[in-house]
Amino acid sequence: MGSMLGDWPSFDPHNFSQLRPSDPSSPSRMTPATYHPTHSRTLPPPDQVITTEARNILLRHIYKRAEEQLRPKRAATEHLIPEHGCKQPRASPY
Amino acid sequence: MSKLDRIRTWLKDSGQTGPTNPSKTEANCAWYRMRANFSLLNLHLRTETCVHCARRFYENLVPSYTIYDVECPDHSFRKFTEDGLYLISFSRNHQDLVVYRPTWLSFSCKEENCDAHDLPPKAKRFETLSSAHMQYLVTNSVITWFQHLLSSSCKDFFLYLESNQYGIFATSTTPIHDASATGGGIQGVPYIEKITFHLLRLEDGSVLDEKVFHNDFVNLTHNMGVFLYDDLLAIVSLRNQMIHILQIRDSGNLVVVRAIGAFCQEDDELFLNSNAQASGKWLGGENYDSSLKFLKRSHLKGACVTIYVLFELCEKIKQRVQCLKKNFYFHFQDYVDLIIWKVQFLDRHHLLIKFGSVDGGMSRNADQHRAFFAVYNMETTEIVAFYQNSAEELYLLFEKFCDHFHATSRHSLSMNFISSHSNNIHSLEQLRCFKNKASSSSQFVKKMLGLLPFSCQSQSPSPYFDQTLFRFDEKLISATDRHRQSTDHPIKFIMRRQPCSLKFKIKPGPEAGNMDGRTKKISSFLFHPFLPFALSIQQTLFLQPSVVNIHFRR
Repeated sequence: MGSMLGDWPSFDPHNFSQLRPSDPSSPSRMTPATYHPTHSRTLPPPDQVITTEARNILLRHIYKRAEEQLRPKRAATEHLIPEHGCKQPRASPY
Repeated sequence: MSKLDRIRTWLKDSGQTGPTNPSKTEANCAWYRMRANFSLLNLHLRTETCVHCARRFYENLVPSYTIYDVECPDHSFRKFTEDGLYLISFSRNHQDLVVYRPTWLSFSCKEENCDAHDLPPKAKRFETLSSAHMQYLVTNSVITWFQHLLSSSCKDFFLYLESNQYGIFATSTTPIHDASATGGGIQGVPYIEKITFHLLRLEDGSVLDEKVFHNDFVNLTHNMGVFLYDDLLAIVSLRNQMIHILQIRDSGNLVVVRAIGAFCQEDDELFLNSNAQASGKWLGGENYDSSLKFLKRSHLKGACVTIYVLFELCEKIKQRVQCLKKNFYFHFQDYVDLIIWKVQFLDRHHLLIKFGSVDGGMSRNADQHRAFFAVYNMETTEIVAFYQNSAEELYLLFEKFCDHFHATSRHSLSMNFISSHSNNIHSLEQLRCFKNKASSSSQFVKKMLGLLPFSCQSQSPSPYFDQTLFRFDEKLISATDRHRQSTDHPIKFIMRRQPCSLKFKIKPGPEAGNMDGRTKKISSFLFHPFLPFALSIQQTLFLQPSVVNIHFRR
């Protein structure tokens, strides 16, 4: 029969009887359009290597949040220490 | 123009016609889908899209036929392996591990009207659907001077390493409850004299290696105390508060990589013993930075306690310092009393550890108790983040990146396509619906974070649980392998796409339904990872034999 599906078994032998393989002589209308760049401004640097980051996105977020939490805290403590540095610690009444 | 019409037009243009009957019969839909899929597959062969494209076939290939009450041996069926090669079960007396290799029904009919014929009676026998691959006896009776130790297998625990076809199961002696805190153990945690983890090659049934724990307790129900990621195994010893990291080598050896608990690095014990005076400096609080470094190296719990408390400290330092000191000392003992409950891998170097109080660890209603999560880097021994179980921040990460919490191995193709609310719009809508219905936001967050850390290999990769393809009642059946309350009504699987028709039903229990509606019945379901084949097992709480049904595509 020369159908695309070959000699696969089928319940009804008349199925796929009208199937014709695509004609190689007629030009295919499915050629996609091609685009060519007109400048080279957006070319990547020649030594660029693209790899997958080892750490997954969840861990990257966790690390980023941890760094954000520590950074402003350090700035705050540096600001406060000169103020308290001149004071003496009070003797605990307990 | 519908998708089907567009495909028909495309086919006509390219000079091919489909089957003569243009009505939307199942065969036609399958043909058009196949044709469309071939072209899509050509475009997407190297991406994961091809898995989603191929999955749409499962809308047409469904386990629509059921054989009720199959005669099968009285085993407790545990799971299908993730590659679909084996069916793992344990014998009722917990002494044998039985592995089946599923084969397909072979039945041919030479007559004209084959569809009307019923299957022959021998189809009802389990043996025709699988060959008993092997039977491994785990009886291990050791008579010592004082006791007669009899190990039995833990029927809830089995892990599978897909790359080498290795399986891990455990045998243990009877747990002793109400054990006192002897030998450094935690009060309130049961005590098992001997637990053995066996590494088994499923191809030939040979036991390659084993790891024994003495006087310990590992929670093995539903794989809770053990997590497998690639070739790394994390075992949580609840009694001794240690996390043992083992590596499964290709040669079949179980190698201890590290033991986290009292010490973080391998040489910490040596360091501590040779620097005994460093602990005196820490108590005095003189050199804060070096003592902090010491804490981080030496004691995992002490490290996370101190860092969390530090964060709290910095927040309140703008307010009253005195009040702050009181809070610190008031809560300090609560943090020191925390124990490790559960652990999972986030990647090869990071662990997500759940801390909680001793009471909460062994109770069922863990939501009521306060719990904390720590993200721990095993290489640098740093606590990267520390959250309470009501933290909105952690919940947002859980909502966005749930798949990364599931931590499936990259090598396992099927396990990376399980529907979750991070990769599926329907699951996300369901979650949002629960969120809106919840009475209080913090209770909802606690409930959702109570699912963390996840247990590994607890979800079925079957495409019939893909929320994009089918809609089903999650209370009655889902990808998670938990026992559920059984109903007499069949569970419907409805197509998500138009025309949203009923595709197939899964009915556990006998065909005619149960005689007595009063006894409580529970069902469990085992779906093959990629074939249209499923087992439903219904059991009553008394030791009656279970009713096993087989659902498959005829």
